Formats: sequence, structure tokens, C-alpha cells
Amino acid sequence: MEIQNFTLSIIVTNKAGVLSRVIGLFSKRGYNIDTLYVGPKVEDPRHSRIIMTSSGDDATREQIIKQLRKIFDVQEVKLI
Amino acid sequence: MRLCGAAITIETLIAHNVSDVFGYPGGQVLNIYDELYKRSDKIRHILSCHEQGAAHAADGYARSAGIPGVVIATSGPGATNLVTGIATAYLDSSPLIAITGNVSSTLIGKDSFQEVDIAGITMPVTKHNYIVKRVEDLEDVLCEAFQIAVSGRPGPVLIDITKDAQTGETEFRGGLPKPAFAAASPKADAIRAAAALIEKSEKPYIYCGGGVIASGAGALLADFANKIDAPVGFSMMGLSAMDYKNPRKLGMTGMHGTYPAIKMNEQADLIIAVGVRFSDRATGNKEAYQKNTKIVHIDVDDAEINKNINCDVDIVGNLNVSLSELIKAVKECKHGDWNGLAEQFKREVTFAEGFNPRSIIREVRKHTDADTIIATDVGQHQMWTAQYYEFSNPRTFLTSGGLGTMGFGMGAAIGASIAHGGARTVLFTGDGSFHMNLNEFATAVRYNLPIVVIVMNNNVLGMVRQWQTLFYEKRYSQTEMDRVTDYVKLAEAFGGTGYKAETLDELQKSLEAAFASDAPVIIDCVIGRDEMVLPMIPAGGSYAEAIYSL
Ligand SMILES: Cc1ncc(C[n+]2csc(CCOP(=O)(O)OP(=O)(O)O)c2C)c(N)n1
Ligand SMILES: [Mg+2]
Repeated sequence: MEIQNFTLSIIVTNKAGVLSRVIGLFSKRGYNIDTLYVGPKVEDPRHSRIIMTSSGDDATREQIIKQLRKIFDVQEVKLI
Repeated sequence: MRLCGAAITIETLIAHNVSDVFGYPGGQVLNIYDELYKRSDKIRHILSCHEQGAAHAADGYARSAGIPGVVIATSGPGATNLVTGIATAYLDSSPLIAITGNVSSTLIGKDSFQEVDIAGITMPVTKHNYIVKRVEDLEDVLCEAFQIAVSGRPGPVLIDITKDAQTGETEFRGGLPKPAFAAASPKADAIRAAAALIEKSEKPYIYCGGGVIASGAGALLADFANKIDAPVGFSMMGLSAMDYKNPRKLGMTGMHGTYPAIKMNEQADLIIAVGVRFSDRATGNKEAYQKNTKIVHIDVDDAEINKNINCDVDIVGNLNVSLSELIKAVKECKHGDWNGLAEQFKREVTFAEGFNPRSIIREVRKHTDADTIIATDVGQHQMWTAQYYEFSNPRTFLTSGGLGTMGFGMGAAIGASIAHGGARTVLFTGDGSFHMNLNEFATAVRYNLPIVVIVMNNNVLGMVRQWQTLFYEKRYSQTEMDRVTDYVKLAEAFGGTGYKAETLDELQKSLEAAFASDAPVIIDCVIGRDEMVLPMIPAGGSYAEAIYSL
């Protein structure tokens, strides 16, 4: 149950409200956001990349990844 | 064909075989209602008294028929009135499609008249939602909304359409349904691992949830139980998945579960959970719940795995596929002594005689059949219904499980009746819950729906009062309503019929009259305010701490 920091790369469809959905998930489920960066995916303007650092134990990290994958506009979630 | 957005909306609903929608008109959906008017030959609109009632009706429609239910509301207060209904659908994974109008895209963000950010408000309680500002996007969005609502684990989707997207025109391509997204295939090694645990188990216990009903896997679950010779306990959402006549059925588990279900769950060495999310109301203390047992968790939603309870094996995928493969993989088992124990627990239960909640429910059951849809509100009456009503067929028990929404029942009963061509539906409600949305009784009268409303009238907020009795030294803060509502006159004032019953004999006569009538009826059943729901596992307590008698 050790708390660890981790970084996620999240590719989202460039649609209105998608950042709110991602951030809303974190507040709704009580997860931490430590840092957040959002920018266009250079090679593909229809998508954006969110780089986020978060913290939590192994179970929380697994939940965050799975819950993110359920958001319809989230295309890909990777631990980096 | 070029059509305006409002027409595209209605034509897309028709293309999705939507024959009934629920809702309430207003300024920002005038165009949609105009198109509904023109297409009333194809699609019927049920006008509720309040948008919340319409949302619960569309939800009840969806739950009882297994297809999406559609609700329409105007911007601002119309939209916010839907929120409780949407959240209720979300917590119970019901495929509700909510369509709201909004102000023109040029007026958005200006605090215009009746403008609210309903997409923002409902983001945490929808599976997905949309704001459509361009008519060119509308058809695709509507089709996608249906696709999302029914795929995998179902859930509500809201589409907020600005006025200019309703009035603007574009080419309409037919609004054809998109196929549901494919669910993950269960992994072969997970099936093998589960089969191995089952074959090793001496006391296996199947825990069946609402997912079994949502995926239509009830018959497979019964086959599975036969093959591994295991008893079956249920979450409240899963209760109607199996016929009460099946001797394996133990009833509901959890906080107000039945004695045999609680006892068997507690002693199991393996829990095979199918289509459940291990709600805190079902597990009680989580450490104790998983302490002396292995757990196999089978679900379509990967995010449910290890969310509330850590399992030993998980099988993620469509339940029909997972159960079929598991049935094929597992060897036949025999557990005579273990099932004998379940029979013994069943025999140990005794019940009080007289005019009490259980005898009322049993009396009603004499007049209903296996297909009659039963709705409830929230409170003691809901738990008594879950404990004592004998359910036979899936989708016949409509109740707000996850959100526990008082006021759900009247709308849900209307929606279910409409979904089944105006079928007889029974609502078990409490005097507190019924007062929340009893306005919808007028809707039932207006559409001539044969809904029998059984008010379990203890004149208190019984469930909350029960907690005050047990844990707050009988300080009955605001739970004794002492209302003088005359339900007979109330029913008559709305254009229906009302009866009052204080004995089983009176109830029987009222029921005979009610079930002979094609119109809505309220039967006021006067019961004692100190009736309790037992067993009870105190919140956060373990199964071992269950209170069986006082
Ligand atoms: C909308 C809403 N408000 C408050 C509650 C909390 N609550 C749960 S049960 C209950 C009492 C319900 O009273 P009644 O409908 O008379 O049912 P009874 O328990 O007496 O059978 C209350 C207030 C709730 N579940 N829903
Ligand atoms: Mg009451």
C-alpha cells in the first residue's frame, strides 16, 4: 500500500469538454493530480496529449488507468 | 434529404425503433416538440407532471424492456429537473437517453434566460454527454449516443442541443443505428484458473448481480449453478435474474439480506461474483468480507475488478461468453452437505402473522403473475419487497439500488407499463417516498395505465427512523411526519380510485377491485410505525454482526 508517484500519457480526442472529463474523474474519485500538461499531438491535430503526474498506491494507480480508459474521448492511456 | 435539426432528432429516434418518449416541453425544445407533433403517428410522447418523473419513467422503460428509454426536457430548470433521474440511471447502469434543448450557440455563456451548463452538471453522472452546436454534427452524435448507452455496461447519455442546431438544416442520412462496441473476450487462462478454484472449493457460493439481467444471462447462470451445485445469493439489482422456485435461490444478500443468503455468504470458501460491483451495502466490512474466502469476479467492466474487493481471479468480458466458457471448462461438482445447510437455514426462518409488511406483499403476490412488473420507492418498504416478493422473471423488479432515490417508483411504474403496451404494474411505495412524486399519479390516470400503488403507510420515514431506533437512542429527529393525507380522496382527486386497508380482509377486497379495474388505483395500507427491516448488518459491520431479531 506504498504511495508512489507515476506519470501518465493520455491521448484524447480534441473535443470540447474532454479536459474537464479527465480532471472531473480525478476529483469525483478522489485521486491526486500533482502536475498537468496539455498540448496538441503534433503529428495528429485531431488528438491532444495530456501528461499528468499523480500519486497513489498500486491499487489506486490501476484504478486510475482503468477509469480513464472508460472515458469515451480518451483514446489511449500509458504509464511512462 | 435536407432536414432541420429538430426533425433529424425525431427521425433518428424513429430509425432507432423508439416508439415512446417521455418529457416536458419548453422554449428551447419547441422545435423538437413541433416535429413530435408532426410524427405522432410513429412516435408517442408521454407528458409527465415534472421532468424528474419523466426521467424515472424513461429509466423504468429501459430497465423493464432492456432497450434505451428516451426523455426530453427544455433548457434550464427542465434540464436540472432531470439530474436526479439521470444519476439514478447511472448508478444502476440503465441505458437512458436524455435530450435537452439549450439556448442558441450565440447566447451560450451569457447567462441567457434559462441557460445552464447541463453537460457540465451531468458529466459525473453520465456515461458520456454532448453539447451539439452545429446541426451537421447532430445525426452522428445521436447515433453514437445510443451506441454508447447500450454497449458493454449500459448507462445514461445526455445530448444538449442548442436552438440553432435544431433550426438549422443539413443533409439527413437516415439515422441508422451503429452496432454496439464489442466487449473484450474473456481470457482462456482466467477461465482455467476460475475452473480450478471452483473444482477445489467445498463451499462455493454464487453472487448474482444486475449485470446478469442487463446481459440476459439468467438462464446461463442457472445452468452454471447446476453444474457446480452451488447456492445463489443476489444483490438487490440482480434479484429477478432467477425464478424464486429454483431451490438454489437464497434471496438478497447484504445489509438487509435474507437469513439463508447472509449465512451462506458468510460461510462460503469461494464467492463467484457475476455482474456485481460489490457495493458497500452488499459487502459490509470489506476486510471481513474477503477474509476467509476466495473470490472470482466476472464482469464486463474491467474497472470494477479490484475496485471495492480484491479478487483471486477475474474474468472480464460479456457475461454470456464468460459463463458459457466457464460452464464448458469446469467439471461437474457435487455439494450435498453444503446445499443441505442452505435448506436448513431456510427452514429456520419464521414470520409473524397478521397485517404486516410481509403478509401485505404475499397477499399482493396472489394477484400478480410471473410477468407482472414490480416497482418500488426507497426505504423499508423497498427492502421488504426485495425480501418477501417472489420474483420469477428478469426485468420484473424495478428499484433504485445505487442512488436510493425516493420518488423513483411512480415514474418507473409508468415507464414500465408504457413499455409493455399499458400492462398492469404494481408499485410498492412508502408514505414518505410517495409524497415526493405522487404528482405522476395524474400521469398514470391521463394515460389510463393500470398501475396499483400499494402505500405501506407507517406515517414515518421508516428506514431512517429505524436507524434512529437502533443507533441514535430513539431520538426521532424529523422522521415522524404525522401527515393526514387521505389517500382515497387523493386518488379520486386525480381521477383514479383509492382504497384503505387495515386488515388482510380489507386488503384482499381492495386488491380484487384494483386488479379488476383498468385504471390506476392507490391502496393505503396502514401498518405500525415500529415495524423493522431485519436482518440488518449495521453500516460498515461484518456479516457476523448481522442483527436477526430484537
Ligand atoms: C430523495 C431522497 N431523500 C432522502 C433519502 C433518505 N431516506 C432513505 S429511506 C428514507 C425514508 C423513506 O420513507 P418512506 O418512503 O415512508 O419509506 P419507509 O421506510 O417508511 O417504508 C429516507 C428519508 C433518500 N433515500 N432519497
Ligand atoms: Mg414510511
